[in-house]
Amino acid sequence: MVGLSLGEKHFIQGGIDQNLRSDGRKRDAYRPISIETGVIPQANGSARIRIGATEVIASVKAELGRPNALQPDKGKVAIFVDCSPVAEPMFEGRGGEELSTELSVALQCCLLGGKSGAGAGIDLSSLIVAEGKICWDLYIDGLVISSDGNLLDALGAAIKAALSNTGIPRVQVAAGASGDEQPEVDISDEEFLQFDTSGVPVIVTLTKVGRHYIVDATSEEESQMSSAVSVSISRKGHICGLSKRGSAGLDPSVISDMISVARHISEQLINKLDSEISAAEADEDEM
Amino acid sequence: MASTGGGAPGTYTPTPTKKTQRSSFFSDSDVDWLRPDGRGFHQCRPAFFRTGAVNSAAGSAYAEFGNTKVIVSVFGPRESKKAMVYSDVGRLNCNVSCTTFATPVRGLGSDNKEFSSMLHKALEGDLPVVISCASLALADAGIMMYDLVAGVSVSCLGRNLIIDPILEEENFQDGSLMITCMPSRYEVTQLSITGEWSTAKLNEAMQLCLDACSKLDKIMRACLKEAASASLD
Amino acid sequence: MGVPDASGDLSSEMEVDAFRHLFPLRYFERHLSESIRPDARPLGRARDTTLALGAVASAHGSALAKIGSTTMLAAIKMEVMIPSTESPDEGCIAIDFHMPPICSPIVRPGRPAEAAPVISKQLSDTISSSGMINLKELSLVSGKAAWMAYLDIYCLDADGALFDAALLSAVAAFSHLQIPIVSLNDDGKIVLVSEEDEGAKLEKEPVNKEKRKLKLSSIPFSLTCILHKNYILADPTAEEESIMETLVTVVLDSSARLVSFYKPGGSFLANTSAVQDCVALTRQRVKELQEILDEAISGMEID
Repeated sequence: MVGLSLGEKHFIQGGIDQNLRSDGRKRDAYRPISIETGVIPQANGSARIRIGATEVIASVKAELGRPNALQPDKGKVAIFVDCSPVAEPMFEGRGGEELSTELSVALQCCLLGGKSGAGAGIDLSSLIVAEGKICWDLYIDGLVISSDGNLLDALGAAIKAALSNTGIPRVQVAAGASGDEQPEVDISDEEFLQFDTSGVPVIVTLTKVGRHYIVDATSEEESQMSSAVSVSISRKGHICGLSKRGSAGLDPSVISDMISVARHISEQLINKLDSEISAAEADEDEM
Repeated sequence: MASTGGGAPGTYTPTPTKKTQRSSFFSDSDVDWLRPDGRGFHQCRPAFFRTGAVNSAAGSAYAEFGNTKVIVSVFGPRESKKAMVYSDVGRLNCNVSCTTFATPVRGLGSDNKEFSSMLHKALEGDLPVVISCASLALADAGIMMYDLVAGVSVSCLGRNLIIDPILEEENFQDGSLMITCMPSRYEVTQLSITGEWSTAKLNEAMQLCLDACSKLDKIMRACLKEAASASLD
Repeated sequence: MGVPDASGDLSSEMEVDAFRHLFPLRYFERHLSESIRPDARPLGRARDTTLALGAVASAHGSALAKIGSTTMLAAIKMEVMIPSTESPDEGCIAIDFHMPPICSPIVRPGRPAEAAPVISKQLSDTISSSGMINLKELSLVSGKAAWMAYLDIYCLDADGALFDAALLSAVAAFSHLQIPIVSLNDDGKIVLVSEEDEGAKLEKEPVNKEKRKLKLSSIPFSLTCILHKNYILADPTAEEESIMETLVTVVLDSSARLVSFYKPGGSFLANTSAVQDCVALTRQRVKELQEILDEAISGMEID
């Protein structure tokens, strides 16, 4: 919880009005971002990201499963977020549950695309091993270690980094199984398929404080928000998902404006993340 | 399917021999297909509202959109056990439950209750109906509100936008957009989008939803007025 | 009890509503002594009862029953199971009674209602012991496949006499039940025969062409009464149930045979004549309910 005095509140709001935030940033500037990949050896892919004092870890685990009967040619992806009590005392016990659910739903909304799989950041048909019988189930877990605002963008970026760090073992399907039988599989220990993450969108959250909106808000700034819109945008500039938080209503024209601002910011963010991710991968290889 | 479906293991719902595939008329190029229930692309299902559906509640409403049927009850106000100090704001607790026969395969909604995100997914299409109905129930309970809230969703299928989709259409959708808004203030209270959208498409879909919301708002207001004049008589 | 006449004296000065909330028992007893109830019913009369069949489009059989404002929605979904080896040519019925938080201020989200499992069990016992449904009729292929009928009853509005309304909605849902036509495919699985296929020549004969409807013999109906002093109140509201606690539920079948009898405790001990009176009231009520059910069914057939 952020406890602010009236003076502090005015200071934050006034700073945003004048395009000079309390930590010296402009309204559209991010805090420094650093990425580390391969932080969890047991997972198929993982990454840790720090944006200012916000720190999250994402891990990707792949398991063989059965595809959904309605979509026999697609794999499945599940995203869960956990808020560690380390990040904030409020998350102790079941305190973080509501936030965790909200973040999980928003991430699913932003990354998994429509029901038919169109617009999904993760190509579900690449996860299929034998149609209607075997597919890869990806379990993506996000963990919030330290929370200082802008969790959704950080989780989105961490998942993007973790996915590019993910290797999925090559699978050989034994021929000969028929009907309802489950075919035998042979999972390779050496050969891994790299995941194509060029389509994975980034999430840009614009937080509205007063009449202006800011990117990458800290917790103190978030406590002063009236509403926030998170837009997930692909490299091509298409909207892949959107969710809104906060109780205040927004005029439809403001939303359109926010979307175009988010699109503009996403271009810079994607480039920044890509260079950080490749730097992190290079670091990992050296070690 | 058997393991995720029915309550007891080992039972299954008999399915037709033909596999349900994305029907040919959902194809991208063909613009002239009919919707399964014969509606136009931009035509909502007939909406019916009634307040006072549950006697024992402080306020309640029943909504029927085609085959989607929703009852919302409002109880309270109650003393909060969590509040330790005086607070000048109240709390609104929401809870949604789904009957086992609400989905084609029995128990799909309720078995996943522990994953509220999945419940959210299962409810995707019905959510706007639930939200509209809830705002009516709150009004029926006499709770002061800024405005009624109306919710409408749009599905994107290939190149076409269809409003107020039914479950069958949603299963094949490429993207969805849901707006809830306060029509007389012209403010969007909730917006969620899935799937890939271009800006032009997005604006078109938002406008469609907003127009439908204001129509829905008229129906909801008419229902409230009717109830109010009935109670005066 | 210290000042027995206190409320009596106050009643002339106090507003009716305040008196009702402060001295509910006295309020009711004053009515009872005049042989009338606060909702203007005579003691032995049940509330208006309505029945609508086919309320749920996605179910194979469904009914909405209302007794006063107590509302029950029952729906049946048919699924296929492999019958047990002890009874290879019998199907099965699974009954579940739900009280979602919308039905009553007493039920809170996250805390299931205490009454729900009790009523669930009573319903299963009553329906199975009444012999209304011959489980053999649910068989499809002996030893291989049989129907499992999932009956789910949802209480939409709880205002007393929950069991009576639930049982009524359950039997109505069964009389509305339309079993889908199915056939056995090569893998030994039961598959649906769709409407279009019906006319065309089939590779596989349907296994249940003649058995679309269940034959319901001796349908059970029930009436719940409150015993209070020497009064018997039929079909109590939630308010009455909360004030006077001794409930008796009698279940009779259509030929007036006793199916079950429940008296879950309560401070008043029923003597034999009271029990007989309850049974007599129920016998009357069964006739009414049978008529309401018949009317609902014939209404369906006209449509």
